[in-house]
Amino acid sequence: MGFYALSYLCVAVFVIATGWLVYRQMTLPVHVRWEIYPVQHETTAKVAYGGSYMEDLNWWEKKRESSLLNELKYMAPEILFLRGLWKENRSLWRVSFPFHFGLYLMIATFGLLVLHALLVLWGEDGLPAGGAARSLLDGLIVLAGWTGLILGNIGSLGVLYRRLADPELRRYSSFVDYFNILFIFLFFLSAFITCLLSDPFLQGAKAYTFGLLTGGHSLNSYVPGQSVSGGLAIVLASLLVAYIPLTHMSHMYMKYFFYHNVKWDDAPNRQGGSIEAAILKNLELKPTWKAKHVEADGRKSWRDIASSAPKEMK
Amino acid sequence: MNKRLKPSAMAEPSDCLCHIEPGELSPLPPPYEDFNQATIPPLKPEKVKNIETSLDDTVAIGIPKPASKEEEEELVRQFLSGLKKLFEKENNWTFLQPLMLSMEHCAKCQTCSNACPVYEMSGRKEIYRPIFRAEVLRRIYKKYLKPGGKITAKLTGDIDLNWTTIARLAELSYRCTLCRRCAMVCPIGVDNGLINHEIRKLFSQEMGIAPKELHEKGTVQHLRVGSSTGMNTLAAKDSIEFIQEEMEEITGYKVEIPWDVEGADILLLHNAGEMLAWPENVGAFAIIFQAAGLSWTLSSEAVGYDAVNYGLWYDDVQFSRVAVRHADIARRLKVKKIVIGECGHAHKALTVIADRLLTGDLNVPRESALVTLEDIVLSGKLQFDPRRNDFPVTLHDPCNVVRAMGIVEPQRRILRKIALRFREMTPHGVENYCCGGGSGFAIMSGYNFVHWRNLVSSRKKFLQILNAFQGEPREVPKYVCAPCSNCKGAIRDIISYYHAEERSRLYYGGLVELIVNAMAGMKKPIIRFGDEPSWRS
Repeated sequence: MGFYALSYLCVAVFVIATGWLVYRQMTLPVHVRWEIYPVQHETTAKVAYGGSYMEDLNWWEKKRESSLLNELKYMAPEILFLRGLWKENRSLWRVSFPFHFGLYLMIATFGLLVLHALLVLWGEDGLPAGGAARSLLDGLIVLAGWTGLILGNIGSLGVLYRRLADPELRRYSSFVDYFNILFIFLFFLSAFITCLLSDPFLQGAKAYTFGLLTGGHSLNSYVPGQSVSGGLAIVLASLLVAYIPLTHMSHMYMKYFFYHNVKWDDAPNRQGGSIEAAILKNLELKPTWKAKHVEADGRKSWRDIASSAPKEMK
Repeated sequence: MNKRLKPSAMAEPSDCLCHIEPGELSPLPPPYEDFNQATIPPLKPEKVKNIETSLDDTVAIGIPKPASKEEEEELVRQFLSGLKKLFEKENNWTFLQPLMLSMEHCAKCQTCSNACPVYEMSGRKEIYRPIFRAEVLRRIYKKYLKPGGKITAKLTGDIDLNWTTIARLAELSYRCTLCRRCAMVCPIGVDNGLINHEIRKLFSQEMGIAPKELHEKGTVQHLRVGSSTGMNTLAAKDSIEFIQEEMEEITGYKVEIPWDVEGADILLLHNAGEMLAWPENVGAFAIIFQAAGLSWTLSSEAVGYDAVNYGLWYDDVQFSRVAVRHADIARRLKVKKIVIGECGHAHKALTVIADRLLTGDLNVPRESALVTLEDIVLSGKLQFDPRRNDFPVTLHDPCNVVRAMGIVEPQRRILRKIALRFREMTPHGVENYCCGGGSGFAIMSGYNFVHWRNLVSSRKKFLQILNAFQGEPREVPKYVCAPCSNCKGAIRDIISYYHAEERSRLYYGGLVELIVNAMAGMKKPIIRFGDEPSWRS
């Protein structure tokens, strides 16, 4: 039960920390536009060369066209295959891609394990033994799990090696940067050893996931916690889940805000619109910058200051 | 000497953290090899004895050295106070979200480094890496403002904070042109250019530290006198009168430049520097707009005849003041739209950044002149003879117009129609390289900064220009079309510094000059290559 308690605790930390990160982003004031082109939700013709709606004569009189499909066409390879890194930093991509894809496959494997557990809970109707659906799901779990573990081990070792061997990376790396990679590598390694020595078909992983959903009730099979490496894999995976949102590694999902709230945030401010309402609110904020030319005294708002001329030089 | 410095070196005592030795700069091809051994001329000791110079070979700001230990400590306190304010919505709602994201999620993968022309051309000097200054700020922030930071700094990356760190960081924020190529290539979206911008803001808005060309002679003069050039309304009107006469003399075309026409369709905003340095640009605009029959006007009101907004580069407060003045002038003139002339940073400032500042009737529609011009040129309103532009032309993409606004094709569609021998630089469009004069560098020339700009930050652009004209005979005049005043200033200086007019017959100018040069009705060319007219009637 100790493993389950740890996993529950770590998932709770993950949910709270991620929730806080997301909440904080969503409640920040609307900022000035700082987009950078190409903006991938532009029309197909424009996105090809990085153009924008501002290329059109009297653009404010026209209905804005944007393409979710173009955005997805860009984001899918970016998220899955690290397209940007492939283009701009190929040598790093060679180790970073297996590292990230290994992690993705671990998440996918966990998703499949949860699906498996839910279907088992649903009863024999949900997942009949010997049926094609069950075989497919079992096969996918094994395929995703093993591929993820192999890629993850190679990738995390590769990333660790690059960070140690490449002076450009080493010069900017701190203890925490090495610790993070080592942490992830140890998880991959322990899970790999567990699968190799005692759980090649991930039956134990299925049992543990089933237990997670049922408060500790286990399927009648090997449970990873019965071996040292299995126990270690559970502990490390759980801690990793809790740890990621507390570090810069949360870029895995915070990247959404980078792209949608900054790089591609090209929404124009229309009179009477929601952006204007947010700006009006911002303009009432009272800055306290100390340089004399700002002339902020904690009582004047941004609106007051922006509509005045500075009396002081400095 | 290419010492591999760590960010923590910023706090360590040394007379010069980074020095460029002969032969270290990225090499230039023939006939410019003589510049490969060039170095930045040393600062004159008598001029810099009282200012902070320990970063590198040049000085952009010239921060006075503190007179006492107490003063040093006070400045450190001010810095930390400003840093804290960068993360408060009351003080920095303008950039809070982008800043927080970039501060918290960098994976230090160095993908940004290869995209940075300053880093590359400097011979890969460590302090010019996009991540270097960002990492310095990140470490200070974590160590001195985060709870328990002094303990966790040993694990997350340590740095000491003293007057040297701060003074160097202020100077270092003026070694990046804010071109944002680094942000474009970052796989995560981290924007080291933005972090640099925020460092500049901290120094200006909290400590009153900024280059005098941007602040005292820039935004302050702009708001007080009417223009960062120092021109008041009377001088601006005199300049325009002179331009009208010049245009008639140069091209044979009589032009009337309208002032303060209430209810005109267009308020045209020029960078006032054009009136002084490139009057033919202002004149060419007038010829085109008049010939096309547009309803337009200039404003003679202070600030309204100068489109620049240097606040974009270093100070949100000054930025807001100038942007509001521009919009208010347009509102009172009751124009249908503001058209921004060939000035890249004015484009971004008023069209994009100020978009989240201007509300109600201050939110007057804004458009790039490149778009307005495209409509005129491609609509058939004017007749052109592209054979008049029968010389090699390449196009410089101003970062603020292209990468920051996505205005890429209008200028190209114009050039394809009027310039028979137009060719692209490599790379171009949104992947372009900065002229090296971005973020205020083009107008900064104190101490020996102009040498640093020409040798380091403009070097990549010079290489690109040379490559674009590769294979053209030396004696053929070549035209670099730069539809941006600051870029034009930087390219003018490159051509002069490297003697490129003599060695490669390089010339430069704007887009409107090329348009007028190809207009069928012109009696004489507006473009000349030295004493030689670009075409003969």
